[in-house]
Amino acid sequence: MDRRTFLKAGAGVATIGASGTIAAPALSQGAAARTLRFVPQANLANFDPIWGTQYVVRNAACLVWDTLYGFDSNLTPQRQMVESEEVTDGGKTWTFRLREGLRFHDGEPVRAQDVAASLNRWAVRDGMGQMIRAIQEEPVSAVDDRTFRWRLKQPYPKMLVALGKNNTPMAFIMPERLARTDPFQQVSEFIGSGPMRLARNEWVPGARAVFTRFEQYVPRNEPPSWLAGGKRMNVDRIEWIIMPDPATASAALMNGEIDWWESPLTDLVPALRRNRNVQVDIQDPLGNIGSFRFNHLHAPFNDVRARRAVAMALSQEDYMRAVVGDDRSLWQTLPSFFTPGTPLYTEAGGEILKGPRNLDAARRLLAESGYNGQPITVLVAQDQAPLKAMGEVTNALLTSLGMRVDFVATDWGTVGQRRASKAPPGQGGWHIFHTWHAGADCTNPAAYLALRTHGDGAWFGWPSDEAVEAARLKWFDAPNLEAEKAAVAEMNAAAMRHVTYIPTGFYKVFQAWRRNVTGVVGAPIPFFWNVSKS
Amino acid sequence: MFAYVVRRILATIPVMAVVALFVFSLLYIAPGDPAAVIAGDQATPEDVERIRASLGLDRPYLVRFGAWVWDIMRGDLGVSIFTNLPVSTMIQQRIEPTLSLMVVTLLLAVSVAVPLGVLAAWKVGTWVDNAVMSFAVLAFSVPVFVVGYLLAYIFALELDWLPVQGYTAFSQGFWPWLENLILPAIALGSVYIALIARITRATMLEVLQQDYIRTARAKGAGQRSILFLHALKNAAVPIVTVIGIGIALLIGGAVVTESVFAIPGLGRLTVDAILRRDYPVIQGVVLLFSFVYVLVNLAIDLLYTLFDPRIRY
Repeated sequence: MDRRTFLKAGAGVATIGASGTIAAPALSQGAAARTLRFVPQANLANFDPIWGTQYVVRNAACLVWDTLYGFDSNLTPQRQMVESEEVTDGGKTWTFRLREGLRFHDGEPVRAQDVAASLNRWAVRDGMGQMIRAIQEEPVSAVDDRTFRWRLKQPYPKMLVALGKNNTPMAFIMPERLARTDPFQQVSEFIGSGPMRLARNEWVPGARAVFTRFEQYVPRNEPPSWLAGGKRMNVDRIEWIIMPDPATASAALMNGEIDWWESPLTDLVPALRRNRNVQVDIQDPLGNIGSFRFNHLHAPFNDVRARRAVAMALSQEDYMRAVVGDDRSLWQTLPSFFTPGTPLYTEAGGEILKGPRNLDAARRLLAESGYNGQPITVLVAQDQAPLKAMGEVTNALLTSLGMRVDFVATDWGTVGQRRASKAPPGQGGWHIFHTWHAGADCTNPAAYLALRTHGDGAWFGWPSDEAVEAARLKWFDAPNLEAEKAAVAEMNAAAMRHVTYIPTGFYKVFQAWRRNVTGVVGAPIPFFWNVSKS
Repeated sequence: MFAYVVRRILATIPVMAVVALFVFSLLYIAPGDPAAVIAGDQATPEDVERIRASLGLDRPYLVRFGAWVWDIMRGDLGVSIFTNLPVSTMIQQRIEPTLSLMVVTLLLAVSVAVPLGVLAAWKVGTWVDNAVMSFAVLAFSVPVFVVGYLLAYIFALELDWLPVQGYTAFSQGFWPWLENLILPAIALGSVYIALIARITRATMLEVLQQDYIRTARAKGAGQRSILFLHALKNAAVPIVTVIGIGIALLIGGAVVTESVFAIPGLGRLTVDAILRRDYPVIQGVVLLFSFVYVLVNLAIDLLYTLFDPRIRY
């Protein structure tokens, strides 16, 4: 009996008489071991993973909705809901068959009609889905209750990547009646066929979400590997507890009030490591890539020389030390747009970010670009620690280049709005903002929106460069790994020449859990299958 | 008196109307875009624009304001942009923790601060007075979140007497409920205790100089009777006023306290809604807070008549 339990007993006896209410019975040890208490990286405010594409929504959605395919830890799509697939007609017709026995949480069987409706909704919102829609002969449709077919006008070799990728929005399968919802509207029910179901009556957005085990879920027989393999649940109940304050989450973990914390603040990790009941490890081996994003529409950064000048002067080491600290095991410089350690990683064309920084040459190039001393509007979200840190380094960098900085210290909500403005910086627009990209999104060009350069339709900053786009298309058509590597190297080099954006470095963050919890893996998504608590 | 109460309640209508106009206009001109938050960092500008349109955020100011006022007049606070839940449901989910925190804090603060203030006035100039006043200065000066962290560190982490965070509903038992509120109430109440103790001391000092106190002493009344029966009752009006004003302090402090102790109350709901630009929720919660504040002021005014029979409405 610990001190608190002892005190509870004493206080309970004392208060029974006073209140006439008996304290709630504590959970039995068995019941406590079947409940996993998890603190996610952010608030789960909404729960439609197609409508809202925040990472936290996707992560929770992986419990409730299943996918046709799933990436394993080698970043290879493996069958999940699908039993088999057949490619005919020269790669233009894909026919899929669903596994037997799949059921939704309302007890209804998963049918091909549900899949077709889900994929049609997903394809409107997803970049790869949009590509498939653009070349489809007809929308994906059911052949019978377990078979569905997608007929295309031309081969699309990356079909399984599209259906199994873990980038948002993922191709989650919903009942047809929900999947018919406008992709720009929220679904009204949260019924999936995943291993856990959302306890809707216990969901308090901003405070907690509860998931209970779906007894009728039929896991695959293969061992689990990220989104692939058998998703076997060893706990009956998962409570997502939202804790906005990292110090509180840290104390709660050390005190045994929570079991698993997805993203501890780096500053708090030493204290967590000193606690013998807490284990700390890298959250996601694919890490994050810091981003220095230009607005390509307005001077001076509509001139590639100005962008190159900044790239020549930029020290990734400065950025990484500001964001992560001095622990070199957590970060590395990155002369690439792609995630290090993954099959397609390349440093082709990355020389501009390597070696000693040459401020004089950068200043000369900036002068050549015609920079006339106008203020540079830098949007810096103060409520996101990594972005605040990057903003401060950028301020110093631009000042050292002789630029006038209009440092807009604001919150992420405002940056989110203002970065969408194409107006000149002095009239509500912007020159630079910072963000970061999950390394999982940067392993290949499939869902790498930040590296698109198709002008008006491109991501914020609206870069335009045909060479980058051409190399990207080569990757989609690449028949094998070698061809894929060549295409990605070409894309990296072109994007470095064009300075589409500047990676400020590659860094990893931690996760922490109680030692009585086992089965936690390092991955881009917190995977709960195979996790046990004793 | 009844007519006065009715008049005051009716007077809340224009007050609430002004608050509604102010809040709506402020949010309208404030930067930020909920559609961008919903869409996530990977969304394209086109996606964001389509979500904005689907939420009706592209409509003109007057159209949006008119629709909102019309809904409020029908008792409908609207639907959260993010959760798709009615704002009234979200408030209902969160009101118990905040109410509990405020009640416990209020009880704690009044029961500690008033005796402290009385004691300081009684022992004016002595070390007791100095100690109480030093505590008051300290409690005023240290931010709520620092007090919160310190308390959590000592009483939860080191001593393991109380939980670090969370909230248990009253329906699950008195002690589980109270256990989660003790540290937050002390953290939130510290400033409040300081405020009430200081005003109690100052008012008591003034009252203790009055002729009727000297008369009471001359009649042989005991010290306790003089302090609590004669002096405190006459000092009550300014003390009650400060307690009332302090409710606003509590509402503000609850925002921080609820974050530090992970209490799922209205304060956190407000902060989350502001960060996400969930306009209907912000508007609903601010309206509620304003309404509560107006009612508290009315209650304080009515309490005056209890303490000072000369006051009549």
